[in-house]
Amino acid sequence: MSQQDLINAIVREVLAELNGSGAKPAAAPTERYCGEKGAKLDYRKDYPMAAKRPELVKTASGKSLNDITLDAIISGEVKPDDIRITPQTLEYQAQIAESINRPHMARNLRRAGEMTRVPDARILEIYNALRPNRSTKAELLAIADELEGQYQAKICAGFVREAADVYERRDVLRKD
Amino acid sequence: MAKRHKRFLSLEQRPVNKDGYVTEWAEVGMIAMGSPNDPTPSIKVQNGVIVEMDGRKREDFDFNEIFIATYGIDAKVAEEMMAISSVDIARMVVDINVPRERVVKVFSGLTPAKIVSVIDQLNVVEMMMGLQKMRARRTPSNQAHVTNPQDNPILLAADAAEATRYGFSEIETTVAVFNYGPFNAISLLIGGQVGRPGVLSQDALEEAIELQLGMRGLTAYAETVSVYGTERVFIDGDDTPWSKSFLASAYASRGIKMRFTSGTGSEVQMAYAEGKSMLYLEIKCIMLTKAAGVQGLQNGSISCIGVPAGVPGGIRAVLGENLVTTCLDLEVASGNDQTFSHSDMRRTARLLMQFLPGTDLVCSGYSATPNQDNMFAGSNVDADDLDDWLIIQRDLRVDAGLQPASEEEIVAVRNKAARALQAVYEELGLPRITDEEVEAATYAYSSEDMPPRDKVQDTKAAQDLLKRGLTGVDIVKALAKRGYTDVANSVLGIQKQRVSGDYLHTSAILDKDFNIIAAVNDLNDYQGPGTGYRLEGERWAQLQNIRQAVKPEDL
Repeated sequence: MSQQDLINAIVREVLAELNGSGAKPAAAPTERYCGEKGAKLDYRKDYPMAAKRPELVKTASGKSLNDITLDAIISGEVKPDDIRITPQTLEYQAQIAESINRPHMARNLRRAGEMTRVPDARILEIYNALRPNRSTKAELLAIADELEGQYQAKICAGFVREAADVYERRDVLRKD
Repeated sequence: MAKRHKRFLSLEQRPVNKDGYVTEWAEVGMIAMGSPNDPTPSIKVQNGVIVEMDGRKREDFDFNEIFIATYGIDAKVAEEMMAISSVDIARMVVDINVPRERVVKVFSGLTPAKIVSVIDQLNVVEMMMGLQKMRARRTPSNQAHVTNPQDNPILLAADAAEATRYGFSEIETTVAVFNYGPFNAISLLIGGQVGRPGVLSQDALEEAIELQLGMRGLTAYAETVSVYGTERVFIDGDDTPWSKSFLASAYASRGIKMRFTSGTGSEVQMAYAEGKSMLYLEIKCIMLTKAAGVQGLQNGSISCIGVPAGVPGGIRAVLGENLVTTCLDLEVASGNDQTFSHSDMRRTARLLMQFLPGTDLVCSGYSATPNQDNMFAGSNVDADDLDDWLIIQRDLRVDAGLQPASEEEIVAVRNKAARALQAVYEELGLPRITDEEVEAATYAYSSEDMPPRDKVQDTKAAQDLLKRGLTGVDIVKALAKRGYTDVANSVLGIQKQRVSGDYLHTSAILDKDFNIIAAVNDLNDYQGPGTGYRLEGERWAQLQNIRQAVKPEDL
């Protein structure tokens, strides 16, 4: 499409919208919003996800919300471990948070997305290691390496490294 | 004085004179706001980094200040917003022509000292106007405490059902004896869903245990995750902004809703206020919460309410901290929690500050039991105040989250909750619940009406249940097997929240059909008369319908 054609197309679209003709822009948003590159979820269209985008919500074992029924629970088809959020869903929710100007929440949800891969017991141990005067700097840095290497948790690793630096500066590292 | 004036003698006997008061004492932080030791607002940004905040250089920041400056303030707009005068920002908070979104944007660039100076421009009526506009969710709601000193599980289930039938959208328990934790959580999970499907329940325990119960689906959210305004008190509380943020992400990674907790007076109570005003330190807590990416905060002094309540302007500062929470775009569970006064007038005046404008959760613990059974050291309002609450709502045409319920329906849901728990205990091989206990719980005023239980056996079973790895799914199965299909479906509905993550967003609660009501799809759009939440139609009719009202046809 030439530059002029593109401009003409845009003008037509804008006019159509202004006239309320109901003609939709060529690119169907439903297609673009499926997590493809560059397409982000938006709180106005996609929230709550369970109602508006159920096809995007899967459990950790790949089931959809509609598969989690009382019958499936009783028959044992759905197990407690199936009822877990996925990193992909947390990423979608982070996008929704961003679309409503809540970048802090999005950051938290992205840390969480990485932490879905860390086992419960290890999460509790790392939390305790981050309490004041519990760990040496080397121990915290080792946790950061583990998060990055073993669980592909890059954001969390950076967060723990930052904590190690601040703890050193503020004298809240464990002294052996 | 040899001879006493009889009116003074009479006044001395009044409940208000059983409360404690103290003059301002800035050196130790016994000052609500405006301590001479509070810093002067300032900001300096270099290459997108905040290098000076409130008169302190970055290299001198304590860990709270590092965290706030790194994550809590939008460095891109900070200099612009800090340049607006405090009184102008205060006017924006009150002005119905300035939308909520704009105020949130301005506050995103302010430092703690600047926010204090903004709040100090407002009187309480202006603060209430601000709270009405700035609370995140359009629809107000309420939270209840459900506890008892015996940790009696049957009574907890019945009391949870009663609370949720009155309309509380969240219920919170804690333990008298630590080992009862999982039992109390199960009682609220089942009882709460019997009273009203979609209610969220929590169990306030030590951080790590609380997270475990959430991971197992025995609770639906968490709240007892405290943050503090000075580094020293934070360390005494055995945490840092990084450990608490990590914990917050841990909850989200399991799809569990959570909020932080803080409140004016905690730093004074823990003796390291550094001579700063209570509100200044609390604003740091609110900013830490936002910086951590947590969706909301329980504040309004909470368990330290006696401290601000004793100083001049203290209750105003408590309203101020709720208001700041909303201006920072966070959910607020706004206190009216721990009991602070012997005076009915005084506790009502304190309550109206949140009751009238409405907040996400007006109380962050209305005691659904009589205060003698409240294990959070009592609450400002309790089960004996329910009719007062409902009638004040009706008098003033205000929705503070509760609705009338008939004696018949309350008895029915209490009984059903107790029976459902009895069935689940039997299915799961937990210590037996007798029919006599079910009957007692159905009609009990308080735990004194309950037959005693074998506590050794109960606590052993509660701990054993954790070792067995019991989850919310086991509760669902047990309920279904015993024919409580509706309750089973509701408990399952709660489990499913942990998959979609929708309720991780700001101010999210669920209606009886498990639809999400959050400050995303139910954003507060108040901009003066004719906008925002209006108590009308069916809901107003429901709130009018008190059992005490005489109808013309009865005459």
